[in-house]
Amino acid sequence: MMTQLTSAQAVILAINSFAFGGLLFLLSAGFSLIFGLMRIPNLMHGSFFMLGAYFGVSLLDWGVNFWVAALLSGLAMAVIGGIIERFLLRRLEGQVLPQVLLTLGFAFIIADICLMVWTGDPWQPTAPPSLRGAVQAFGLFFPLYRLAILAVAVAVAIALWIMVDWTRLGAMIRAGVDDPPIARVVGIKVSQLFTLIFCLGAALAAFAGVMGAPFLSVYPGLDFEMLPLALIVVILGGTGSLLGALVGSFLLGFLYNFGQAMFPDLAYVILFLPMLLVLVLRPQGLFGRVVA
Amino acid sequence: MAIDALGLHDIDAFYGDSHILQKVSFALGEGRLLGLLGRNGAGKSTCMNVVVGLLPARGGTVEVFGGDITRLPPESISARGIALVPQGRRIFKSLTVRENLMVAARPPDPGSRHAPWTSETVFAMFPRLAERKHQLAAHLSGGEQQMLAIGRALMANPRVLLMDEPSEGLAPQIVADVMATIRKLKESGLSIVLVEQNPRLVFDVADDIAILNGGRVAVVSTPAELTRGGIDLTQHLGVY
Ligand SMILES: Nc1ncnc2c1ncn2[C@@H]1O[C@H](COP(=O)(O)OP(=O)(O)OP(=O)(O)O)[C@@H](O)[C@H]1O
Ligand SMILES: [Mg+2]
Repeated sequence: MMTQLTSAQAVILAINSFAFGGLLFLLSAGFSLIFGLMRIPNLMHGSFFMLGAYFGVSLLDWGVNFWVAALLSGLAMAVIGGIIERFLLRRLEGQVLPQVLLTLGFAFIIADICLMVWTGDPWQPTAPPSLRGAVQAFGLFFPLYRLAILAVAVAVAIALWIMVDWTRLGAMIRAGVDDPPIARVVGIKVSQLFTLIFCLGAALAAFAGVMGAPFLSVYPGLDFEMLPLALIVVILGGTGSLLGALVGSFLLGFLYNFGQAMFPDLAYVILFLPMLLVLVLRPQGLFGRVVA
Repeated sequence: MAIDALGLHDIDAFYGDSHILQKVSFALGEGRLLGLLGRNGAGKSTCMNVVVGLLPARGGTVEVFGGDITRLPPESISARGIALVPQGRRIFKSLTVRENLMVAARPPDPGSRHAPWTSETVFAMFPRLAERKHQLAAHLSGGEQQMLAIGRALMANPRVLLMDEPSEGLAPQIVADVMATIRKLKESGLSIVLVEQNPRLVFDVADDIAILNGGRVAVVSTPAELTRGGIDLTQHLGVY
């Protein structure tokens, strides 16, 4: 069954799609870097998003400024992610199945802890006061907060792109992916760089969780709703490709919003079918490099 | 007695259960060039891997200017002034030429007497690389990749340079260029280990020669002594 949309509804859906796509990018950029560079399938990534959102909720509850809360939550998650990577995942280097089991185990542990601390009730913090309201243009209302999410995502995308493609640090990371032993012989501290990537990915996921909270609200199960979305984004876009993650995120943002509005009965088909097609027709993803 | 730039003392090394290096010892004097010879599978690259820390020795010690580096990880060994031009070049293919040099840059020791290596001085030495500095390293020819591998090693301003078969797979003219470069580096006072299968290439430039055979040091000598005869090289090196 297809539901017809008016053009005003379509515009609102498009804005929501862009905002949701931005959020998905913040979530999946880290997932993509961790998977593409370190080959770790981090099934905790949705949990980082949810735990980060809960951290944000509590900080906001204590009266912390919204952006400060988002940054602090990211910082806390960087520390937690760094500890898990350094002391546990590092021992399982190159062993995919144990990595899957470990990260999945942690995902369940985090879910339980969240349920215990923040109960089963949903939390929906309000957007920062300056971004409440909407701007009016072309006879339509554009909700400010959603535009802000989009702007933050684009800014983060540009910053990440500069870091990876245009700095010495980024070149060292890429060298460490190209040939890890020789990179070490050349003096690059590959293991520390990889920990840094993991921390960054965890921080971005938590930051995204806080940014998403006023929009999606926070509730038990959010972790395993977000994880498959990050997976789809990375499969669509190609692992390790930031451009792929960006395009994949917006593509999925649109599929998600328009799919639910127009084909409510087929929501999952619309989400997963493109992923299956890409897997079969272009396994490296739309922007992924072919691994030699 | 002067301190050696690099010394291996009774090194035992294994790949899994196979005992590859057996009580290997040799020394490289400061400012000298040691030719390390041996046929396929003799253990030359394994020695290099032990020195740079990629393969931990099970027995024996490695010293650099008298300091023990045997148990250090590769990053720290690089910081002690050892640089490797690996066999097969192993440049970072998805990085540009300039990035390949940039990631390996390290300022020289404060006490160093030599002008430091920077991308500019490397490009001055290899003008072909300068022309291609923004290209991906994967697009370079074999000879250019070898120059990049040498340039990358120099960027760390090493005190000891290890070169593992830098002439392998290159056209004769390019091999001559590479050898000329090695001679220049030696004249600059760098201490060098040059690994080769072909003794003719090495005899011209080397001060000392060590020959590995089956994971053991079979001969320690000088080019002059070896060309005079006396030692049957074909026994250790096969036909060359
Ligand atoms: N990664 C490895 N795992 C197991 N055995 C190895 C490995 N690398 C080398 N070997 C074995 O160790 C022995 C010494 O190899 P090594 O690479 O040091 O020889 P080489 O003298 O450098 O030879 P070449 O001139 O062909 O480079 C050989 O018998 C080789 O088969
Ligand atoms: Mg070799």
